[in-house]
Amino acid sequence: MVGLSAGEKHFIQGGIAQDLRADGRKRLTYRPIYVETGVIPQADGSAKVKMGATEVIASVKLDLARPNPSQPGKGKVSLFVSCSATAGPMFEGRGSEELSTELSVALQRCLLGGKSGAGAAFDPSCLSIVDGKLCWDAYIDGLVVSADGNLLDALGAAIKAALTNTRVPVANVPAGASLDEDPDVDLSSQETTRIDTSGVPVIVTLTKVGRHYIVDATSEEESQMSSAVSVSINKERRICGLTKRGGAGLDPSIILDMISVASHVSEQLMNKLDSEIAAAEADEQDI
Amino acid sequence: MAGRGGSTPATYSPSPATQNKKKKAPIFTDSDWVRPDTRGFTQCRPAFFRTGAVNAASGSAYAEIGDTKVIVSVFGPRESKKAMMYSDIGRLNCNVSYTTFATPVRGQGSDNKEFSSMLHKALEGAIILDSFPKTTVDVFALVLESGGSDLPVVISCASVALADAGIMMYDLVASVSVSCLGKNLIIDPVLEEESYQDGSLMISSMPSRDEVTQLTITGEWSAAKIHEAMTLCLDACSKLGKIMRSCLKEAALASQE
Repeated sequence: MVGLSAGEKHFIQGGIAQDLRADGRKRLTYRPIYVETGVIPQADGSAKVKMGATEVIASVKLDLARPNPSQPGKGKVSLFVSCSATAGPMFEGRGSEELSTELSVALQRCLLGGKSGAGAAFDPSCLSIVDGKLCWDAYIDGLVVSADGNLLDALGAAIKAALTNTRVPVANVPAGASLDEDPDVDLSSQETTRIDTSGVPVIVTLTKVGRHYIVDATSEEESQMSSAVSVSINKERRICGLTKRGGAGLDPSIILDMISVASHVSEQLMNKLDSEIAAAEADEQDI
Repeated sequence: MAGRGGSTPATYSPSPATQNKKKKAPIFTDSDWVRPDTRGFTQCRPAFFRTGAVNAASGSAYAEIGDTKVIVSVFGPRESKKAMMYSDIGRLNCNVSYTTFATPVRGQGSDNKEFSSMLHKALEGAIILDSFPKTTVDVFALVLESGGSDLPVVISCASVALADAGIMMYDLVASVSVSCLGKNLIIDPVLEEESYQDGSLMISSMPSRDEVTQLTITGEWSAAKIHEAMTLCLDACSKLGKIMRSCLKEAALASQE
């Protein structure tokens, strides 16, 4: 990433204060979002999302497994993000570890809900095959291909699209088979079920630069931020997760204000995403 | 040899409670949750802080809040590694680790690898990094026993340790978490309550400046509930801040004598 001169920094901060950002957007406007689904044929569900120059890929893979004894009717969901070195030389080897962990934890917090499962993106009981004995383990993986700011929002959108694209194979367990050893499960490759993703939240990141908040910051704008709040909001305008990033302290009233602004912005983003995902799914089926 | 007779000698067997690994379904959806230690919903556990726990460190503190016991030592400011680039502000390096005997099941503490970066984020807003350019301050936290609400205790203990080390800060950082169980908001949850929680909210704030340095929310919340939980936590943070301050004053007076 190229460093910014004092003049450029002043330009960015002044523009945001006057509701006119460097690329002509208003403070609460997103960059154009492009969604493509089914980009990874070997995965059970996948999607690629582009927001300006930020490009991320999410994939969902399902594996047969035994469910957790404490939650016998649900499958396990695990989420992990990694940054590819194609996004920049600082992501090579161990350099990306810190950012990957931060993004993974923030996404897990926003999408996997509390310990009892409340607020989760989707109901993991749709992954169960035989209660207590057999279930699907969902491995959701995110990959950052190109980083130009606002990675969390893009990853949230990609995971939502990938989950919508996921086809869960219907598993026919032969009657009377003993399920204590590995059973011969017949996986029908033709019949698949879908996951109900109407409850999947979107993630809106509000970046505070000076005294104003902007949505969908580019990496230049992010370098000028004092702090950022990432809020995950679902269709019913309920907040499913929140992470404050950045070191500077924030007044509590400002945080509450940011939550209400994010809630307002999330509605437009949710509608845009839903229509983009539906269009992408329709395109994929036509091919 | 004595056992050869056929009857096994009576030996100590662990109490049934530790053998019971099955989780009972929570039964508090209709009635209100009754806290295991008979606290009220908005009552925090009594907090105990003591500085000077580790002699070798520049500053250190030991904190005990309920069953959660944490020891934090601060080293520095000391020279940054040669490999690191020149920086005209100081660096903060945080590490949180669990002892293997901290959790009821051995080795469970390694699930919390993200605590190190979360501690870093909570503290970096409070430390005046310009006061020690080119050098690094290391904060090492060790959780001796995990009794619920671990990260808030680590953050509060770390800021007491930083004060003991004489690192310049804008204010002490106090941290409190609130759990949501059904419709109840309970503050400062214990391990059992955390395992049943529907959502949690953790706040780290600088009480005197009324600024929030870190806020994380999991689970499903409405905006009104967040507001309620935040006011509850900020009030608890200011009270915790007073306790931390009085502990530091005592230590300073004791060393003067």
